Amino acid sequence: MRRDFLKLCGMAGLGLACPIGPNAQAFDPLKGKDEPPFDGPYYIVFNASGGWDTTYLMDPKGVGDINRLYKEGDILTKGNHKYAPIAKHIQGGMSNEAFFGEFGNDLLTLNGLDYSVNNHAPGARYMATGKLDSMAYPTFAALVAACKGPTCPLSFLTFGNYSATGNIVAMSRVPYLPSLQKIANADGIEGNAKSPYHDDFALNRIEKALREQRESRTVLPLLPRQERAESMLYAAQINSKFMQRVTQHIPATIPKERLAQQAEIALASFKAGVCVSANLSIGQFDSHVNNDPDQMKLIPEFLAGIAYVIRRAEALKIRDKLVVVIQSEMGRTPTYNKQNGKDHWSIGSIMFLGPRIKGNRVIGATDEKQFHVPLNPQTLAIDKAKGIRVRPEHIHEALRQYAGIADHGFSKKFPLGLTEKEKLQGFWG
Amino acid sequence: MKAGLMICVSLIALGLLANPGRAEESTSAFFEKTVWAKVGERTCLKCHKAGGEAEESKFVLTDPKRSQDQTETMRHNQGVFTKIARLETGVHQSRMLQKVVGKLNHGGKEVLKADFPEYRIIAEWVKRANAMPVAPRPVFVDKNAPPFFEGVVMLDDRRLLRRVTLSLAGRLPTEAELTDVAKNGLKALPKILDLLMKEDAFYDRLREGFNDIFLTEGFDDVPENALSYEHFSTTRGWTQNHDLSHIKDEKERRQAGYKLSNDYRKAMLGEPMKLIEHIVKNDRPFTEIVTADYIMVTPYTSRGYGIFTELKPKFKNPDDPFEYIPVKLKALVGRNRVEDQDSTTGFYAHAGLLSNFQYLKRYPTTETNRNRQRSRVYFQHFLGIDVLELAARVSDAAAVSAKFDNPTMQASECVVCHKTVDPIAGLFQDYWKFEGVYGKRKDGWFKDMFGAGYEGDTLPPKERWRALQWLGERTAKDPRFAVAMVEHAYYLLTGRKVLQPPKELEDSLYDAKRRAFQEQRKQVETIATHFGKTGLNFKSVLKDWVVSDFYRADGLTTLAVHPKRRTELEDLGLVRMLAPEQVERKVGAIFGQPWGKLNDQMAMLYGGIDSKEVTERATDPSGAMGAIQRILANDVACKQTALDFNRKAKDRLLFPHIEPDVLPGTSPEADAKIRQTIVHLHQRVLGHYERVDSPEVERSFQLFSGIVKDASERKGLDPRENYHCRRNLPGDALADPKYTIRAWRGVVTYLLRQPGFLYE
Repeated sequence: MRRDFLKLCGMAGLGLACPIGPNAQAFDPLKGKDEPPFDGPYYIVFNASGGWDTTYLMDPKGVGDINRLYKEGDILTKGNHKYAPIAKHIQGGMSNEAFFGEFGNDLLTLNGLDYSVNNHAPGARYMATGKLDSMAYPTFAALVAACKGPTCPLSFLTFGNYSATGNIVAMSRVPYLPSLQKIANADGIEGNAKSPYHDDFALNRIEKALREQRESRTVLPLLPRQERAESMLYAAQINSKFMQRVTQHIPATIPKERLAQQAEIALASFKAGVCVSANLSIGQFDSHVNNDPDQMKLIPEFLAGIAYVIRRAEALKIRDKLVVVIQSEMGRTPTYNKQNGKDHWSIGSIMFLGPRIKGNRVIGATDEKQFHVPLNPQTLAIDKAKGIRVRPEHIHEALRQYAGIADHGFSKKFPLGLTEKEKLQGFWG
Repeated sequence: MKAGLMICVSLIALGLLANPGRAEESTSAFFEKTVWAKVGERTCLKCHKAGGEAEESKFVLTDPKRSQDQTETMRHNQGVFTKIARLETGVHQSRMLQKVVGKLNHGGKEVLKADFPEYRIIAEWVKRANAMPVAPRPVFVDKNAPPFFEGVVMLDDRRLLRRVTLSLAGRLPTEAELTDVAKNGLKALPKILDLLMKEDAFYDRLREGFNDIFLTEGFDDVPENALSYEHFSTTRGWTQNHDLSHIKDEKERRQAGYKLSNDYRKAMLGEPMKLIEHIVKNDRPFTEIVTADYIMVTPYTSRGYGIFTELKPKFKNPDDPFEYIPVKLKALVGRNRVEDQDSTTGFYAHAGLLSNFQYLKRYPTTETNRNRQRSRVYFQHFLGIDVLELAARVSDAAAVSAKFDNPTMQASECVVCHKTVDPIAGLFQDYWKFEGVYGKRKDGWFKDMFGAGYEGDTLPPKERWRALQWLGERTAKDPRFAVAMVEHAYYLLTGRKVLQPPKELEDSLYDAKRRAFQEQRKQVETIATHFGKTGLNFKSVLKDWVVSDFYRADGLTTLAVHPKRRTELEDLGLVRMLAPEQVERKVGAIFGQPWGKLNDQMAMLYGGIDSKEVTERATDPSGAMGAIQRILANDVACKQTALDFNRKAKDRLLFPHIEPDVLPGTSPEADAKIRQTIVHLHQRVLGHYERVDSPEVERSFQLFSGIVKDASERKGLDPRENYHCRRNLPGDALADPKYTIRAWRGVVTYLLRQPGFLYE
């Protein structure tokens, strides 16, 4: 029965077989009871849109003319992490001092990442998908959602940044938290489950007719687009029943901060078991003019948003299932321009936090001029002679391995083109 | 000999030869499908073309996108490739093979490594070029390939008509139109479309569709600030001082003020898309979107420009906020003389959307992007080129940035794009105000970027005051413009972009993807050519797309199981999930009134756009959207079923030939009546023409009769329709003692949840 249902929901229509594993959830209206909610891991990708200044965050320099707000000797540490001292320069949000102090033991940082390009759109696409020269690849968040929770009603949530799905999963945008309440009980008048539009026997007959109608279509010679669309539509309507699970997790008060608002929607959806992944994003990091004031405003806001998510996940008892990726599409130059800004720089960093990710680690490096330093993919040590340039495809390969989807049909449909010896070994610790 | 064989074998192993199993494959086929598709077009053409970085080399190719004769272009490029492939340097050293790895002072440095598959393709080409006769053979056409549309079922003419009228005019076809199509088939469509394209609803859809592309409604400011403070400080805020003293009641006066302001803002936002409407409605050349020497204004917006008094006699109704007429603005006069606009004619240098205030506000410049964003969207909007799509991977972008004082003019990796992008940015140089629009840069235009021009032509200094007109004139003559507009029309009709050439050379399905791309490209070019012959009348583009196989494809005769064939067909068929606005219009067309709830937050949740942050519509339904579909089906059926039965039979839209007292299973006549009603509902709601004995009708019949039967066995049911579904109707008419009204509501709900309703 379950296998039949998944077939109707579109695995065949999507063109590739999807495993029917413990993480592939679905609601079968004819079985009369719900399948358990998706129970993680949940993935959040935070994006500092516009290009962050990593030298004011996890890759401090303080030498030459790279930073005006501190010198090399001012650099602070927390365990193996080095970070820029910014507490006295910020007006709000969360300082590096507080962030690394609270989360440093759980954080994995990679410095010296080669974004490879200096433009926003290609950079955002490359960082989100691991593929520079294709518009067809899905983002990691979309890919993991498609592999792990294809029938979750809000499987892949996005609040901005590059969000291509590769046509393997539907993208959900939920602009306001209260809007979820309006649609949670779709069969109740004005959303009231106690006041249904149809009597139960009538609704059952409608669902049965829809199922039979869907079954009849699966044997017809349809165009691939028709197969896919009809499958996804059926799955979307049937699994929308799960939406009612969200309402109990919607907080009474909605935070004012940009990232926190996005986070509440994502966390409520995770907690309800209706969502696998979410892209969270704030913009305006593109500090070509007055770099330091802009970065000192945005980095603390960004870090505060991340901290908010982690703390709320703790309160919701899902932190141990939450995987956090913290990234941007580019870095900023090691010199200031005439407007006291910094322009685009193709070398930067990325951070991770989550279960099975060994924290208090820093991999890779940049030199004193903020150039990339080659990394040995086998030992993860600096290796100027035999090291490689770590690029987004290396990160995405590692993420696919981490999520257990590297061999999934969808991942194979979108190969990253790395040889075995290029893959980062033991990256997650 | 052995070496050559080994190359051939390795290419076969990599799947890089177009037809590895066919030793007889012609050189021309190998050139077009492999050398050109996998290397020439993707790598060499970036620089080796007119206007490109290597335009002065001996190896200059023709860009197929800038040619109207694809066959001749391919022949030319093959000839150039052949000629260069035969050149040697030193002792039997191929000049071409050395160049591509960065030797012999190749301007583009190393573009391929010797172990790249692309290098092996070039090596194979060098070998073949030196073995073949001097004159290249004609371009290869694979005559053995089955027709692309073989086995594809086309939508029947009646359903095609319904698709078109709903898509373009938000209505069902008329009986006269159906009769015409039944009699004349596809030939009837152009005439029907000509009439349809006179309807207001068509222009609503046209503006909506083009806003999805140009996004002009999304500029980040209050709408009246499209008019700059420097030039319109005394007029743009006219609503604040407008005399409403004739309205005595304070509350009413305040409300009237709000309405005045809202109407003004809405009219101001609407100006750019009204320009497109004006061009299409009046059968003007569509190039006017970049050349029009006028803008569209209303009685309200003309007040903002300070020209209402002189225009007033030209308006049919000077009090109508939304009556748009074309007008040519005078050159802008600033608060200070330095802000006055240069003009040798005394008029604003209008160039369609290019110089449109709202368009320029939507894509503003900054001190650091230097109009490059405008250049990027110019290429995308008017020439159909995404200049950032294929950003070149640089071996060390940071090193390049650091090595050169000015990488964009010195580093070949950067020059390849900036030589094209920066001249266009320079043409926008006098539209430099970050908050307003027009205004020169105080320190003059940047010297450290390529100067203003167009594809190799430099802007003459005397033309600077009308630089955007100069750009518009060249754009209008560029063959890529017509192609881009055909692609826009495809987006408008299908909600998705045209296919791009595949890029994964190792992909085993590369050939299938390439064929799908080429077949669609052929259709695009055919329509673009016809577009040119009609004097660039945009209506012809829509009409051509509508009758094309790409728009009409609706199924297959047999299941496509072979991966290659499935890949070829992957993008075929309209299969478009309706956008919120389209759903509302469709509900209105079928039921007589829209649902009215798919707006604001709900529209966004249903995949809509705000033209600012969210600029692409959702193409697949999420669970949240599935929930909205359920609500819509439940609610529309609830409101419309009882309402329809409450009308006189002759006025009914859903149930004109049946009454609620007809019960299933009571007589053959009753069942026949029910089935006929179901046929009518399938046709009206889904656009499907079913026979009374079809499985689909049977399923709906079983649903109806099953609900009635279940209800008859259930005790304690209310003998009336649900209160929510009958609350605005007279009570007696809504008695439902046999549960038939509710059963019919169940059928309508069932139909509204199907792809036939929710998709186009």
